[in-house]
Amino acid sequence: MKSTFKLIRRFILILMLSLIGLVVINIVLLVGLTYRDKSNAGGWKAAGEVAEQLTGSEADGFSLTDEGRSILKERQAWAILIEDGTGNVIWNSDDLPKEVPLHYSAAEISWYTRGYIADYPTTTAARGEDLLVLGYPKDRYWKLMYPTWDYHGIVNTPKKVLVFLVVNLLCIISIYLIATSGVLRQVKPIVGGIEALPEGEAVYIREKGLLSDLATAINRVSERLRIQERELQKKEMARTNWIAGVSHDIRTPLSMVMGYAGQLEEDLSLSEENRRKAGVIRQQSIRMKNLVNDLNLASKLEYHMQSIRREMFNLVAVVRRVVVDFINADLEGKYPIEWNTSKDLEACMIEGDKELIRRAVNNLILNARIHNPKGCRIFVELKEDEQKAHIYIEDDGVGVTEEKLEEIQNKPHYLMNQGSMNKQRHGLGLLIVKQIVEVHRGSVCFGQGREGGFRVQISLEKGRG
Amino acid sequence: MDYDYLKNKKILLVDDEAELLLMVRSILEQDGYRNIRTALSVAEALAAGKEWKPDFAILDVMLPDSDGFGLLAKLREFTDIPVLFLTARGEEEDKFQGLGMGADDYMVKPFLPRELTLRLGAILRRCYKNENPVVQLSASRIDFARAQVTKNGEEISLTAKEHDILMALYRNAGRIVTIDQLCEAAWGDNPYGYENSLMAHIRRIREKIEANPSKPESLLTVKGLGYKLVLEERV
Repeated sequence: MKSTFKLIRRFILILMLSLIGLVVINIVLLVGLTYRDKSNAGGWKAAGEVAEQLTGSEADGFSLTDEGRSILKERQAWAILIEDGTGNVIWNSDDLPKEVPLHYSAAEISWYTRGYIADYPTTTAARGEDLLVLGYPKDRYWKLMYPTWDYHGIVNTPKKVLVFLVVNLLCIISIYLIATSGVLRQVKPIVGGIEALPEGEAVYIREKGLLSDLATAINRVSERLRIQERELQKKEMARTNWIAGVSHDIRTPLSMVMGYAGQLEEDLSLSEENRRKAGVIRQQSIRMKNLVNDLNLASKLEYHMQSIRREMFNLVAVVRRVVVDFINADLEGKYPIEWNTSKDLEACMIEGDKELIRRAVNNLILNARIHNPKGCRIFVELKEDEQKAHIYIEDDGVGVTEEKLEEIQNKPHYLMNQGSMNKQRHGLGLLIVKQIVEVHRGSVCFGQGREGGFRVQISLEKGRG
Repeated sequence: MDYDYLKNKKILLVDDEAELLLMVRSILEQDGYRNIRTALSVAEALAAGKEWKPDFAILDVMLPDSDGFGLLAKLREFTDIPVLFLTARGEEEDKFQGLGMGADDYMVKPFLPRELTLRLGAILRRCYKNENPVVQLSASRIDFARAQVTKNGEEISLTAKEHDILMALYRNAGRIVTIDQLCEAAWGDNPYGYENSLMAHIRRIREKIEANPSKPESLLTVKGLGYKLVLEERV
């Protein structure tokens, strides 16, 4: 939509600029074409000039200077001098046409003062008491018999011109708008369609009018995208379903392995050695169980098949619960957990999937235990600042090398890797932590612990609660 | 902790795998349960349910002639016994469906025998608590039914909140219960900001149940996390 408005704005701007340009060009053209005609207004001036160049008087005869003659010649004009009172022509130029009378009554004077003597356009000038009349060739000036103008007509001319201009401008703009809006109406759905394509929406544009080819092409692109998306989804669905199926089917057999191993481990009639072996079977089957669970969740998170329940919850309570569950289950006390959260932090509300966050914290504590089979202390701490809640989980166990750390931070897991599977891989546990934090738009940071072990920091946006 | 009367409860196991039934049965028997019956299908389970009247049922979801959710619905038509789902279906949706239908717990296979017996014990204690309302501590005895504590022959009443808190601790006896769980037990859903009140209540409970409230032996603090109730071994 925005782009359509932009388009309209641009069109109008261009229109305005071209109108202004046109006006300027017209003025320049007008000035250029009429520049030469300007001196012609000198018809009246010439009469005065000739009157000045006429020397002498009635008594000693008149004579026209050379300059006066050349003015007449240049204009192909003739001149007569009419005596005051008598109305007689007391001097005339050499080439006076025959039809020009040599005596003028008071009524006849009104002819030339209106501009014509026998169809010759005339101008006049005073010479003392007498009157000099200059006659021009018949086709020299346009006949204006009544060259009087209404006073208000002249005064209002600029206003009228302005009204004309504005009306013209409005006409042009509306014609232009009507013309372009037709085009725009056709362009609009296409622009909308193209804008919707990257959003992954299904697009259909009516294939009609000027741009029907374009509409057809966009419809085809949209159709193809949809098909591709469906295919991809089908594939991803098949993959997650496959993993879900395997992890489901493996549970019952694994239950029996775990169950019987657990029973044998506690069977006092068995030798210590055999009970120890049963214990190993049990522990390893727990690892398999965790792996199966993790694999399932990781594939679902990766392909967005895991539904996320968003709610406001107290992060402190959730993390505390995970910690307590571990302590309650750790009968041997091999992995003591220290709760270092400040007493003042009773509640820290965040918005997200409680179960997934619980899973992430669970995985991190489990991770510390898996990598430290000889036992270690685990430190859990929660902090908050203005915007974020931070969970720190740290241990004093064997820790990690810098290279391994780099690998955990940056290398993709084999589950997402297109390359060979033979490369070093890290556990699914941390991958899930990353995925869960990602789903919550938080950040996770792996590092060296202050007491030599592994340290993880998860930062999550606090809820507006 | 030996809750002898609970071990006499009739427990019905339903699963389509005979081998798994055998194993669960042996796990429960090893833990002291004596009255166990098994069923391989919904039909068998319903028959046993009507005729034998079990006190507890452990159900699988995947069954040959319907599913565990359907079975639970049918069981609910004539009995209110506690039910635990033990299934390979680990999806959250399944879990919510099972718990939503009124199951008391939902466990996903594979499971550790110990976890099963602990959860089973907890549910039984919770559901059949009225049969054993008296809990022996090192310095006192709590009678939950009457909300009374007997210490040195003297009877002390418990307030409602103190009762709720002690009950939550008792149901998880020997295990840490988080501050949040206790607040929830006393003040309802999503409680926070009650930590100080909880501490005050704990102090008062200690005065009632401990020989020396400043050196508690029964109600222990786990710093920053929660509290733990230690029961006296029964004679």
